[in-house]
Amino acid sequence: MKAVGARLPRYDGLGHVTGRTAYVDDVRVAGMLWTKALRSPHHFAAVRSVDTRKAEELAGVHAAVTHADVPKNLYGHLEALGVPADEPLLADGEVRYKGQPIAAVAAEDEATALAALDLIEVEYEEREPFFDVRKAFDPDAPRIHPWGPVYPHFGPHDHRRIRKGDVAAAFDRADLVVQGVYRPTAIEHCPVEPQTGLAVPEVHGRLTIYSCTQAMYFSMGVVAAHLEWPLNKLKFVGGTVGGGFGGKVDTATETICALLAIKSQRPVKWRWTREEEFLASSTRAPWHMEIADAVTSDGWIIGRRMLTLHDAGAYTRFSSYGLTKHSFHHTGAYTIPNLDFNGYVVYTNRVPTTAMRGFGVTSISFATEMQMNRIAKVLDLDPWEVRLKNANRVGDTSANWVALSDPSTVPVVQAAAKRVGVELKPEFRLMTKDRRSGDLLPDHLVEQLVSTDGGES
Amino acid sequence: MAKHRGRGISTIEYPTGMNQNGDPSQAWVKLKPDGRVDVFAGTVDIGQGSRTVHTQIVADTLGVPYDWVTMDNTNTDSSPICTGSFASRGTFIGGNAVRFAAEKARERILDIASKELEVDASDLEIADGEVVAKGAPQKKIGIPDVAAAATWTYGELITGTGAAFKPYAAVDDDTGRVEIEPHSAISYAACVADVEVDDETGDVRVLRLVQVYDVGRAINPLLVEGQIEGGAMMGLGLGVLEAAYPYYPSVEHRGEQYGSYLAPSMQDLPEFDNVILENPSVDGPFGAKAIGEMANNAQPAAICSAIHDAVGVWITECPATPERVLRALDERAEPRRDGKRVVFDEDSSVRGVSSSGGRSNGAGFQLVDG
Repeated sequence: MKAVGARLPRYDGLGHVTGRTAYVDDVRVAGMLWTKALRSPHHFAAVRSVDTRKAEELAGVHAAVTHADVPKNLYGHLEALGVPADEPLLADGEVRYKGQPIAAVAAEDEATALAALDLIEVEYEEREPFFDVRKAFDPDAPRIHPWGPVYPHFGPHDHRRIRKGDVAAAFDRADLVVQGVYRPTAIEHCPVEPQTGLAVPEVHGRLTIYSCTQAMYFSMGVVAAHLEWPLNKLKFVGGTVGGGFGGKVDTATETICALLAIKSQRPVKWRWTREEEFLASSTRAPWHMEIADAVTSDGWIIGRRMLTLHDAGAYTRFSSYGLTKHSFHHTGAYTIPNLDFNGYVVYTNRVPTTAMRGFGVTSISFATEMQMNRIAKVLDLDPWEVRLKNANRVGDTSANWVALSDPSTVPVVQAAAKRVGVELKPEFRLMTKDRRSGDLLPDHLVEQLVSTDGGES
Repeated sequence: MAKHRGRGISTIEYPTGMNQNGDPSQAWVKLKPDGRVDVFAGTVDIGQGSRTVHTQIVADTLGVPYDWVTMDNTNTDSSPICTGSFASRGTFIGGNAVRFAAEKARERILDIASKELEVDASDLEIADGEVVAKGAPQKKIGIPDVAAAATWTYGELITGTGAAFKPYAAVDDDTGRVEIEPHSAISYAACVADVEVDDETGDVRVLRLVQVYDVGRAINPLLVEGQIEGGAMMGLGLGVLEAAYPYYPSVEHRGEQYGSYLAPSMQDLPEFDNVILENPSVDGPFGAKAIGEMANNAQPAAICSAIHDAVGVWITECPATPERVLRALDERAEPRRDGKRVVFDEDSSVRGVSSSGGRSNGAGFQLVDG
């Protein structure tokens, strides 16, 4: 019997529906302590002092940590590529979002840990927060980071850019220019299992970390970087996740559990509350996208200008990665030969945004498809036909000059039309994904083609 | 005051694997002395079913029954690196890692079987847990006997390792151009949304979603349908329900529990019609492409376009809440026409909102019409 192609049930389904799956929170270890974190009550403030001495003296408290306890406090996901780290594990000098962790304690139970937080003394100096990415360059905009309002590390530029073809000529030639603004908002990952971690110090100095991460090696690398430890001193145990959707690519609990476990030499668990999950966990990014398309009256899109502002929240995390992916896919499933794209990662005083299902592309799918339907409406054309006409075809190149070897835009559109009983005109019903020719190879699409020998024509 | 129906469509594409590549997944396969198979890989099953899919891939690559294969993805001591379960990379990149490892183990099985059967390894094939001589089906040996021979006769471990990796694709920061493909296979989908909009309450109901996905090859159609329908519910949440900041960019009224945050639930479930197209990739396991992430990308635009079809207003700020729909119905905004320009949504643009037009001190955003 062939397994591939079979409708086999998932191996974990039975355990999930009978309550027998063991998640991280189901792991209980003798002597285990519980963690709570002191989080910023302000969107933006200077932190003049943090004093944990009274908290540490409370009966039942075994350890407290602040930024001073972290061997390498600042972390950035792109350090290996030369981008400076920008996010502290525990706030040092400044808090840039409400809910940002400043200190953490490990105690015999959650109630004691919570009581200890009240004994931590922090002096804040509140600052005016900033939330609207569109105002980032206004002269009176609060300055969140010393280097300015946007992420500055796209090579020599402070924005990701795409330049292809001759966009000015396309806009001159266009019969109409259709312009719109698209703003899909932030949403929560909303996993049923909140962020949970458990760090267990082993007798020979290793740490075993039970984690709900979506990426064990990735999170192990983050913990190792903060601790400045080699990987053989850490063992991640995981592989079972109660909902991730991208939010558990962030390493949320593991490093602080590790620090408290090292300091107390006790197993340390941190289980976020539902309120923490909503208020302090990362979200999908809100995006601001402005598109102007140069179109012909018969439905060709011959050029696109686009401005994207990606709301990173307070720190970069994966934002520059997501924006680059966004830029590579900013023409959607269509071939637009003349492009001018500028995308910015803009900082605001909200929780850092992060990966979420479709990262970087969910936004552009919304913007591009709304724009397509508007173009069809403005031109009084059939939205199915406008899609098929501009669809990616074999031999076309994408925004970043990737040769498309087997695009399925045409087959999926045709299949959807058939499924809902839409009768396409014969030239659209019989269209294929094959290389362009004839009426489907107008002058404006010649230069973007790759030649059949693999090079560009 | 009435309920109006409308239809909207969208078409999307989505790449497999991390953008710009550089994201390894590795795996290790070994046989127990009775021929049962252990797979070690670090790929986390986040509910998408990757462990089941990887087990299917190993079973068919080796030619053994599915229930002979056990996968251990529980820890970093026994599993080699997997970059992680994100970027729609599990089935394709993680799946290739276990496939490559199984192919190596398969070679070792054939080597041992070749000695036992005294038939050249190239003349052997494996099916249903047996190694059989091509053209001479009576000459065969079960994989349990091959594994036993390896263990007790030859003193060997039948094993194989696999590593799936595509090198980092650098980007030209001036043009965005790449010299090598910065992803693996691209998947495609189309979505048709039928909605009902109440012009008195602003309520939008998604009645039906017809969705077509080219997934290359459905390793497990049941799990593909799970992704299509589960993803669609997330897309529906994006389109009409969910907002971390209901009055974005303001942070006021942020929900802090399930009761004050509208995630989709069973009452929002539309009728589904799923179509799986299989246009195989050249380099994915058994021709597979990805579906994980793209499954929530097509619905918001299809739904918001359907709202326009129903009541004639464009909702371009998601989600299309009753408040937004009612405000749009009140305003009935028409685009500004200026020569050949047709300008929608001017009030929410950078130019419309920032005091500097987005260009303080000569620097700043490069506007689309500037």
